Amino acid sequence: MGSWGFVLLAYGIVWCTILLYFLMLKSRMRKAGARLAQLDSKKSTVRNAH
Amino acid sequence: MTATESKSKRGKVLGILALLFVIAGLYSALIQAPPDANQGDVQRIMYIHIPSILTAYLSFFIVFVGSCLYLWKREKRDDILAKSAAEIGVLFTALTIVEGSIWGKPTWGVWWTWDARLTLTAILLMIFVGYLMLRSLIEDEDRAAVSGAIVGIIGFLDIPLIHMSVYWWRTLHQPPSILRPDKAPWENIHPAMLIALTINFAAFLLLYFYLLSLRIRVGETEERIKRTVLEGAA
Repeated sequence: MGSWGFVLLAYGIVWCTILLYFLMLKSRMRKAGARLAQLDSKKSTVRNAH
Repeated sequence: MTATESKSKRGKVLGILALLFVIAGLYSALIQAPPDANQGDVQRIMYIHIPSILTAYLSFFIVFVGSCLYLWKREKRDDILAKSAAEIGVLFTALTIVEGSIWGKPTWGVWWTWDARLTLTAILLMIFVGYLMLRSLIEDEDRAAVSGAIVGIIGFLDIPLIHMSVYWWRTLHQPPSILRPDKAPWENIHPAMLIALTINFAAFLLLYFYLLSLRIRVGETEERIKRTVLEGAA
């Protein structure tokens, strides 16, 4: 492998890993937000029933 | 505008700024900066290697501060801060080791060697992987937070050892290029290389704070879910 091969391998691994971590966080945030909204609406339904 | 919306807007601005700096960093590192006189183009790995490890150091410093604050005040937000910073610190430390390994092969002839700095960096990674595992294994949340805080504080003490290892032991790893006690950074590195390194460091810092703010929001939302579930069960 030439010099540029090593450079591109390093940059590729770094930016792909950071992008994957970012996408994982976004997905976790979306799921948690949806779950919280679901719980909040359930809570307000119970409160209104009382 | 609610506090959550304001945080989200600030996060977006930080994200856009980070992206612009990442693009500028890639341009300066891969196109604008000259190749090294001895190592040639492979030295360009330095523009991500140094910012990665400095970002990891910063992250573990935040773990240290968050852990001390949690042990002192027992406030959940400090624990969320420490845990979030530890996760991102592990990511940047692992990336530093991978980049270093890829840089080591063409320059030293090996992917890995048990050099003092490399070994201490691997130990740092192990400590904080252990931190995250420990926290996920202990069911009692307060106990997990206290145990994590103790490991986080002890783990941070490895960083001065890593930094000084190249002075204290005969190592294959070169001495610091930037953070040297005897020379200013511009006396030690070509100005074009210093500019590229500075832009990349700024890009990593902005990206780090963006990821940290996002990770903290995930932690806070998960905490609110737990509280809501507990209130519902009571």
